[in-house]
Amino acid sequence: MTLSKQLDKLLMRAEKPGRYIGGELHTEKKNPAAISTRFGFAFPDTYEIGMSYLGLQIIYHILNKMESVYCERVFAPANDMENLMRKESLPLFTLETKSPVKDLDILGFTLQYELSFSNILNMLNLGGIPYRSAERDASFPFIAAGGPCAFNPEPLADIIDFFMIGDGEDILPQVCKAHDRWKESGKDKDEFLKSLIEINGIYVPKFYTPSYYEDGQLKAIKKNYDKAPDRIEKQIVENLNQAEFPQKTIVPLIETVHDRAVVEVFRGCTRGCRFCQAGMIYRPVRERSKETIKQIAARQLEETGHDELSILSLSTSDHSEIEPLVEELMSVCKDNNVSLSLPSLRLDSFSFKVLQEIQGYKKSGLTFAPEAGTQRLRNVINKTITDADIYHGIEKAIELGWTNIKLYFMLGLPTETFEDLDGIVEIAKNITDINYRITGKRGRFNITVSVSSFVPKAHTPFQWHPQDTADVFLEKQLYLKDKLKKIKGVSYNYHGTDSSYLEAVFARGDRRLSEVLIKAVTLGCKFDSWREHLKYDLWMQAFRETGIDPNFYAHRERTYDMVLPWDIIDSGVTKEFLISENNKAIQETQSPDCRLHCIGCGINQKAECTMGERYEE
Amino acid sequence: MKNRYAVRFYKDGNIRYISHLDLLRLFKRTFKRAGIRLQYSQGFNPHPKMSFAQPLSLGYSSSSEYLEFETQNTYSTDVIAEKLNSLMPEGLGILSCEELPDKEKSLAAMTEAADYEITIPVDDSLEIENTDLLREYISQDQIKVMKRQKKSGRKIEINIKPLIYSISVDRRGNCIMLEAKLAAGSVSNLSPELVLTTFCEFTDISYDRATVAIKRKEIYFIK
Repeated sequence: MTLSKQLDKLLMRAEKPGRYIGGELHTEKKNPAAISTRFGFAFPDTYEIGMSYLGLQIIYHILNKMESVYCERVFAPANDMENLMRKESLPLFTLETKSPVKDLDILGFTLQYELSFSNILNMLNLGGIPYRSAERDASFPFIAAGGPCAFNPEPLADIIDFFMIGDGEDILPQVCKAHDRWKESGKDKDEFLKSLIEINGIYVPKFYTPSYYEDGQLKAIKKNYDKAPDRIEKQIVENLNQAEFPQKTIVPLIETVHDRAVVEVFRGCTRGCRFCQAGMIYRPVRERSKETIKQIAARQLEETGHDELSILSLSTSDHSEIEPLVEELMSVCKDNNVSLSLPSLRLDSFSFKVLQEIQGYKKSGLTFAPEAGTQRLRNVINKTITDADIYHGIEKAIELGWTNIKLYFMLGLPTETFEDLDGIVEIAKNITDINYRITGKRGRFNITVSVSSFVPKAHTPFQWHPQDTADVFLEKQLYLKDKLKKIKGVSYNYHGTDSSYLEAVFARGDRRLSEVLIKAVTLGCKFDSWREHLKYDLWMQAFRETGIDPNFYAHRERTYDMVLPWDIIDSGVTKEFLISENNKAIQETQSPDCRLHCIGCGINQKAECTMGERYEE
Repeated sequence: MKNRYAVRFYKDGNIRYISHLDLLRLFKRTFKRAGIRLQYSQGFNPHPKMSFAQPLSLGYSSSSEYLEFETQNTYSTDVIAEKLNSLMPEGLGILSCEELPDKEKSLAAMTEAADYEITIPVDDSLEIENTDLLREYISQDQIKVMKRQKKSGRKIEINIKPLIYSISVDRRGNCIMLEAKLAAGSVSNLSPELVLTTFCEFTDISYDRATVAIKRKEIYFIK
């Protein structure tokens, strides 16, 4: 029986079978027999989440433009479908041709969040592919990975054959071309990996051996193959404006998380928040021009028929032409019954004008993220928003009729004290007072305070800091709960810290964690980022049985002289810069936005940075 | 003068695994891509004037579904059918398009019956005389099923026999084929699932629902 026929029998029983059928608008049909590199783009989560990820659309488009390559998509089946597949011995398959993933040449996983790692292993297992790189002979596809979590690749080092570090637009075609050549040469598996290291941004873990001190500290990661680079520089697409961007994006047949046309307006961020990994690893800032964005947006809407358009970046308000861009896009949207959605806006007067226009009288909640409750702590994390900014923005929002305000804060930031928590309470209290002053009423106004648990990340100025322990987090959460419940109209959200703890372990983990991952997946861990699926007890069992202490990774204070597992990856931002930023944090001093004053992160040594002091000219 | 149209279309293959709402969204996007501007409702949350005659359950195929809609401009029915057809994904196709009179009720309100074809794979060894089977099934005074009421959630017993307008059975290879014309629409509606379960229960035929194929073959409207 063919896989397609077998699948058909399962679809009648599966929940949301539309996840598994493929055949969406703008998907690619090619004859696999005429292809030299069959690439599987694997997203280690369900279809609805994976299809909302813009990077998939970009890579799919770029790879399928190549004649010798066929890029197909692979997602993690939901639990009900996985059970059916295992029962009927149906292996993990690609959506396009319903081929077993084992038949592909390269299976590439995107690493968007640490808690998806277990799904990668589970997907390999569902595909009949051994977990460990060392256990896979030439009959198996190469297993690759890229994306933000590849900036600390070590926890997956025993599993993944090669990592692609940095922007994917150029590196993926380079890898596929190298594969074409290798396949034609008929040489063995290792020769392909050896040929890959000539490509900028490729990390092949088997060419490096870590060593440890007796106390468990990492001593060094030494290469065991001469030609491998000492450090892996991330690959950078210098000119984003000319980079490929899909216009015929795949349009899912079923509803996904984000079901809309989307244009990435710039990559990188100039704000320099010290907790933010994305703000560090995506440097330098590279923009698409207003005209390019408009042209892509219009074509995409035409080709897809979407009724929502979103413009995406780490801080959309910072685009150099944001005001005319938004105004012009708004008029395009209005004419075509398309709604415009603008994530990550700042609360300045222009944003209000825009929000007023696109939301009209249908005011959904207004969300913003001061991240910390006091000016002192905001200086520490380099979040430049001031109390005055917050209150001014809120005042404006209330005057315009918003009655639902959401505030996001992080708990456990370095140097945090209970005074900083009091600051959160004070902000909430002051906002209710502002509302009373303006509207004369206390009712029908709601503030939601959401707190998350800080996870220190690799390649950020806070990479040396310990994460708060579960007890401390809980104490802080309850302290806030007690104080916030006394304020009328304030609701409070906080969550268990198990997932933040696991995230902290893997975000700064080393190669020894590969075994823990394998153990955890064997025990049944998967979908860890889904609160209802996380099996924390099994995770702890996996740590115990492999003899690895997770606290070593989450709670240890690191010193500047230590070798860190991700030191082999060069994000373009220098360690000296991260150290100086951390020192400034301890001194509670801000650094300016780099458009005001270049702060010397080092990225301009690797690529042209057009942002430095742009406002001073 | 409104520009009201209806298209008749089929749904088959893997696309039968997308829901009624997903299909509605698909048509909405297809109209946009085709450059056919739909009329939008007024009010807080404008939505295009477009609806199906009858929702089709997930997993069912159909050789005759109807979608009605209102456009801003006037088109020839051929142009609409052609434009939509060129943009339909595999498994969906427009069979015809016609104009609807201004004042007529919606197709959903006029739907009164539908034909279904139910294909039940059975054991080869199963020996039954079709005609006897059917005669006995349909000659029951009442065909009773327990149905949960939407509002109260209580289960009540109902007699579905009056809602079965006609039924025939045929043995084809290792399948039993039921063809039935059932009440459909907002006044009274009978799901073919209930015919399937009561028939198989009555005749003591064991089957696996996942292998049963149900196809809607026609929808009938009040003239």
